[in-house]
Amino acid sequence: MNQLIVDTKKLNFSYTKTRKDIENLELKVPKGSIYGFLGPNGSGKSTTIRLLLGLLKKQSGNVALFGELFNSKTRLKSLDKVGALIENPSLYEHLNAVENLKIAANYRQNIPSGRIEEVLEIVKLSHAKKKKVKAYSLGMKQRLGLAISLLSNPELIILDEPTNGLDPKGIIEMRTLIKELNEKYGTTIFISSHLLSEIERTCTHVGIIRDGKMLFQDTVKELKSSKGQKMMIDIEVDKFIDAMTVLEKLQKENTSLVDEFLQIEVENKDEITVVIDALRAQNVKVYQVSIKNNLEELFLSLTEN
Amino acid sequence: MTAVSYYLSNTKNEVIKLKRTFAFWLTIISALIFPLLFFIVYLVKHESMIPEDGANPWGKFMFKQIQITIPFLVPMFIVLITSLIIQVEHKSHGIKHLFSLPIPKWSVYFGKLSIVIFSIIATYVYFFLAILFFGALLGMFYSDLGFLDFQPDYLKSIKMLTMSLIASLGVVGIQFWMSFRFKNFIVPLGIGMTMVIMGLVASRAPEAIYFPYSYNVLSISLGENAPLTMGVSSITLYSLICFVVTCVLGYLDIKRLNVK
Repeated sequence: MNQLIVDTKKLNFSYTKTRKDIENLELKVPKGSIYGFLGPNGSGKSTTIRLLLGLLKKQSGNVALFGELFNSKTRLKSLDKVGALIENPSLYEHLNAVENLKIAANYRQNIPSGRIEEVLEIVKLSHAKKKKVKAYSLGMKQRLGLAISLLSNPELIILDEPTNGLDPKGIIEMRTLIKELNEKYGTTIFISSHLLSEIERTCTHVGIIRDGKMLFQDTVKELKSSKGQKMMIDIEVDKFIDAMTVLEKLQKENTSLVDEFLQIEVENKDEITVVIDALRAQNVKVYQVSIKNNLEELFLSLTEN
Repeated sequence: MTAVSYYLSNTKNEVIKLKRTFAFWLTIISALIFPLLFFIVYLVKHESMIPEDGANPWGKFMFKQIQITIPFLVPMFIVLITSLIIQVEHKSHGIKHLFSLPIPKWSVYFGKLSIVIFSIIATYVYFFLAILFFGALLGMFYSDLGFLDFQPDYLKSIKMLTMSLIASLGVVGIQFWMSFRFKNFIVPLGIGMTMVIMGLVASRAPEAIYFPYSYNVLSISLGENAPLTMGVSSITLYSLICFVVTCVLGYLDIKRLNVK
């Protein structure tokens, strides 16, 4: 379980001389994990993926896939075990889904002919398999791209922003699909995204990148607990002044007023009722209380300076 | 997997990719335009086209078409078809996908180059067959044109077309490299067209022998009188050298290219 499928050491890359786009990146993706690669737009996620696949030439450092250094000698062997979907899927729009899959299957060896139908079934495109890709919606194209990367039953699937342009239903389907692949076949999945909620719900591991530097890398569980047990809550009340006095009596510090909400920190969920009771006792009307997403805060604090 | 099977699977895929593309139709349309035009002219003005007694009508019909098309239209066609075939890949963001597949990069480059060359050869063949077909058709409509009474000079015309094909290879090598390199097909197309026109203008200068874009013109204007190097026509030799050099350099360049 501890084997690393992707392991980079001191990876450096820059498109121009003035700026480092990837700086000393150490990416560690354990076998069997769903690894979420998180970062704001332009932080170097796609660049990293291109470096992993050898599409870009690294300036220094190492990339190891499946425990073997990735170089011109091991390139074919390693890529044989990888399925990748990089940004916009590479599809021939004047051909239909089956033809696109046929081309992808021809490039790889030993793909049984029935596999094309299988992957179409998996991504739920069987009904549109004879339709030209030109007529596909963005979500369908994305799914066909995924089907192409699934063709060879790869050990590692790399998905660059797979939910980009999908509607909520499509996102949920994609999420289920990813989890299923991981659970059923033990496929290691590497997903890049700029949406924290996406990663949080799907992934077991997470790496957060900004300006080409890795800021945090561990399990999602660890990320959640790193913020500690305390949680932030937002309370909407009618009388702010009164509410503030109540909270002061409860010895709540760090109280702040954000967008008409009172924001306070509590030790645990039980304390929320204590706060509400205290407010109601003073006839302060409480319209809503919501727990803020810790991770979101953390992500923002990590990625915004 | 062996080198041959990599090459074959790539070439096979390139054929599938050409399905329903304009590039595919262009090979047929380009081959048909002139034979069809000549056919119409002969039909309309057939009386003035009747050859003198005993003269072979094929000579005029066939060689005139070849002489008109080769100097300008063939190089133009090559610039266009090369850009179009590779554009199919650029349009679908295909290069990054191909280069992340477990296939050698050379098989991608040379598989595609092969299909470009096959398309060009196919066009030459269609062109040749179309000339014969329309000639025979004219003979059927108007027996006085004499197309059915004489045999065309197959050998001479095949030789002319083959020389032109080999003279084109230098341009194919250059255009293919450019088209692969630049996603925007205006770049290879613009440069290519300018070069073709320059090749036409420059063809009168003796130095044109060093300018691949002039080789098609020269293959007609010099014909058998082309200077020889080591016993072969210099045009043929230089064109082949240009082709091999640009293919090797092109591949080495593409191989180390950062695919964005």
